[in-house]
Amino acid sequence: MVYFNERDLCYNSIYPHNNSWTMSRIELDACAECDLLLTPARPAVGDKARCPRCGYLLQRPRKQSVARTFALSLTGLILILPANLLPLVGIKVLGNTRDGTLWSGVLTLYREDMWAIAILVFLSSILVPLINIVLSVLVSGHLYFRRPNRYLPYWMRWLQHLEEWAMLEVYMLGIIVACVKLASMADLRFGFGLYAFIALLIVNALLASCLDPYLFWRRIEQLQHNHRHEN
Amino acid sequence: MKTEMNALAQGFVRCHDCGCLTKIPAANRPRHCRLCGSPLHARQANSLQRTLALLISAFLLYIPANLYPIMTVTQLTAGEPHTIIGGIIELIKGDMLPIAILVLVASILVPLLKLLGIALLLLCVHYRWQVDAHKWTVMYRIIAFVGRWSMLDIFMISILVSLVDLGGIARVIAGPAATAFAAVVVLTMFAAKSFDPRLIWDNQR
Repeated sequence: MVYFNERDLCYNSIYPHNNSWTMSRIELDACAECDLLLTPARPAVGDKARCPRCGYLLQRPRKQSVARTFALSLTGLILILPANLLPLVGIKVLGNTRDGTLWSGVLTLYREDMWAIAILVFLSSILVPLINIVLSVLVSGHLYFRRPNRYLPYWMRWLQHLEEWAMLEVYMLGIIVACVKLASMADLRFGFGLYAFIALLIVNALLASCLDPYLFWRRIEQLQHNHRHEN
Repeated sequence: MKTEMNALAQGFVRCHDCGCLTKIPAANRPRHCRLCGSPLHARQANSLQRTLALLISAFLLYIPANLYPIMTVTQLTAGEPHTIIGGIIELIKGDMLPIAILVLVASILVPLLKLLGIALLLLCVHYRWQVDAHKWTVMYRIIAFVGRWSMLDIFMISILVSLVDLGGIARVIAGPAATAFAAVVVLTMFAAKSFDPRLIWDNQR
């Protein structure tokens, strides 16, 4: 584990501020959760840099972070289709069969006038995961091919904000509990959609561990900077 | 002493989204981050008021969420409304203790501890308690992390409702507590997000 170095705090003498308001983040950094002023360390790949005061995870460089994020998010984009459209679980009671997809839960809730929950389930299990995957394809794709785009910072911001609202893993737990409850009263069948859904979960988890926001923001900064100087 | 090491005390504002630092030169400071364009705030704007408002709403909704039935299971003709606790007791009776504990943690303990935890954080900042800020930051992190797992019950209902819809044989219908409970989860998630843990550190001497 690499800690950030806390050097002496007389930064003004080291970095006399000229007329520009901004300091490059390569020179200085601050912890998001305790606001400690830091000089960024360069942790080795696979290491983690934590704030020495509060332990907040500042950086976690990964091998080929951009390329892997791009590859994984493309995989996720492909997996989202079967995970959404094919049946996840089905039941058979007294000769009656029913299959459940991600959408059927939302639609049934909506028809029962539970529209608030229907919208919440739709957002957290269908729409936000989709938006997140599309955003990470866009961001990592642009970084991978080194193509500047003025919306790049916006995409990255939304990606960070929406992260916690995609709840596929919680949904998976919901499927497990529902299956346990149903097991005594009906025959359960697992559809092909469930396998796609589990694969999507794994891809999402890998994606979250591959994407180092610190590196991504720095690459975005470089790209925008170079672009501005070429024009 | 501790606060002198803060970026704000040294004249820097950290962008909440991209983490890039902006020097504040007294008077006319930029309002938006130069890199990502998000509005700059030294601390989250009105953090305490917003968190308190969301917390009070969540507290109030927590009552109907536990009193009303969260779903009604109809088998043949007999309809049986379940509250959150009723569903857990049902699971224990059916010898599914591990799942019962899982649901108990996700839908009763987590929301309750979250409500109390956020209330404590607010009190700590408002009354400038001198505490071990590191421990309290860890508590904040746990609260922020576990919030989404309470959605378990809502997702389970969504699956049950769509699967167990077999006309006269068996039906599951979501109850009014489901909406209240979902609102509690969402409101506490927003409350955790609007709380700024840097405020704990600002108060330490």
